[in-house]
Amino acid sequence: MRPRHAAVAIAAALLLGGCGTAPATAPATAVATEAALQAGGAHNDTDVMYLQMMVAHHEQGLEMVRLAEKGASRAELRTLAKAIDVTQSDELKLMTGWLGEWSKPTTVDHAPSAHADHGGLPATGPEEIAALRKAKGAKFETTFLSLFVAHQHNAVEMAKLETTQGSNAEAKALAERVRLSRTDQIQQMLTLMNS
Amino acid sequence: MERVVTVPVVNSLYDTLGAMTMRRSIAYPLVALGAVGSTLFVAAPALAHGYVSSPPSRQALCASGAVANCGQIQFEPQSVEGPKGLKSCDGGVAGFSVLADEGRNWPAKAVGRTVTFTWVMTARHRTSNWEYFIGGKKVATVDGGNAQPDAVVTHDIDLGAFPGRQKVLAVWNIGDTANAFYSCVDLNVGGGAGSGATTPPTTAPAPTAPATTAPATTAPTSAPITDAPAPAGDGKAWAPGVAYRTGDEVTYEGVRYKCRQGHSSIRSWEPSIFTLALWLPL
Repeated sequence: MRPRHAAVAIAAALLLGGCGTAPATAPATAVATEAALQAGGAHNDTDVMYLQMMVAHHEQGLEMVRLAEKGASRAELRTLAKAIDVTQSDELKLMTGWLGEWSKPTTVDHAPSAHADHGGLPATGPEEIAALRKAKGAKFETTFLSLFVAHQHNAVEMAKLETTQGSNAEAKALAERVRLSRTDQIQQMLTLMNS
Repeated sequence: MERVVTVPVVNSLYDTLGAMTMRRSIAYPLVALGAVGSTLFVAAPALAHGYVSSPPSRQALCASGAVANCGQIQFEPQSVEGPKGLKSCDGGVAGFSVLADEGRNWPAKAVGRTVTFTWVMTARHRTSNWEYFIGGKKVATVDGGNAQPDAVVTHDIDLGAFPGRQKVLAVWNIGDTANAFYSCVDLNVGGGAGSGATTPPTTAPAPTAPATTAPATTAPTSAPITDAPAPAGDGKAWAPGVAYRTGDEVTYEGVRYKCRQGHSSIRSWEPSIFTLALWLPL
């Protein structure tokens, strides 16, 4: 499947999902979404790097929120996890679609040494996710919240890189949406941690 | 009924994603790792690093919005970094001086005699130790073994000798740099159960504020996280800070939308082509 078509197919799938309720409007909306879901050709190394880093970051994040959808005791937190799941799943498709358009790989080097070179490991890796998997009851929420707040802080840090050094307008707009949504998610989670 | 309809849709998206993930992980070893990795992290921003999230430190109160007008620190509570040995809440960083401003009436969390401090760490440096101070006096040291910290760092510190309103300075001393991270946590020690309510801002020490004013832990069902300006749904204008439920309808920029996944609305989660997972145009 050519990448361009992949992006359109995503939009169509999203709309078709709810089509039972509004079949008449779906085709028009699908046409309107097509252009914006493509990143366009022009991009620089930062755009590529940012998307590759965020693909890996999203995959980790999805793993964590899916644990929280089941493991969190508060309904509020389960709902937040679910909403993050569905929105980040779509962001992930968008980003892999754009990397495909640019004929770039969607994976990056995860070797810890690569991170250590610039001053330390990031917030979440396999060990942290394993710890989350083991945590039960009240400990689960503490573990999830402190790990996921840190995880989203990392997302804000990476977004800053893209908005200042990226060149592709769609990728930069994505980074700005990430910056805003993660900042507000952190706000909600810090509130949950202390209520 | 709407709820029933949306569930299989969401599940099918998971399945698609699962398949994509699998394909990617198979392709992983084929990628030229060296070429990607070498350029990747040189240009990455300095990742900073950690703070006390619970009980909320001053920077956590800024980041959660509980205390307003904090300036830049609200966006990077993890960045209060300074040379080791300081006794200041702002780590000597000029831009974060609000954290050392005692005139801000920082709300003090009511806690029991033993307090569990939880850290959020955005980069896992090897750790020399953690230190806790009250009034310039050290009340506890937790050894870090010059190792990478565990997934979640929590310390149970006995503050029974310090009843009433206290400002705790928590310090994370890094093992592989000359720096430390600083968090000040305002507490009302012995004023209530361990996970009690936050007392209202006050300048005078308030010795006994019972923790009975925290309804959030007893009514966790579906209360909005932030104040809802109006009952959600039924075609009202979309707004941030509202707990929308699946099936709620809103209007945004002249278009009507139905909520497909319950959520508390935030910036960039307004109805758009990028949030079709949350909002379906009608």
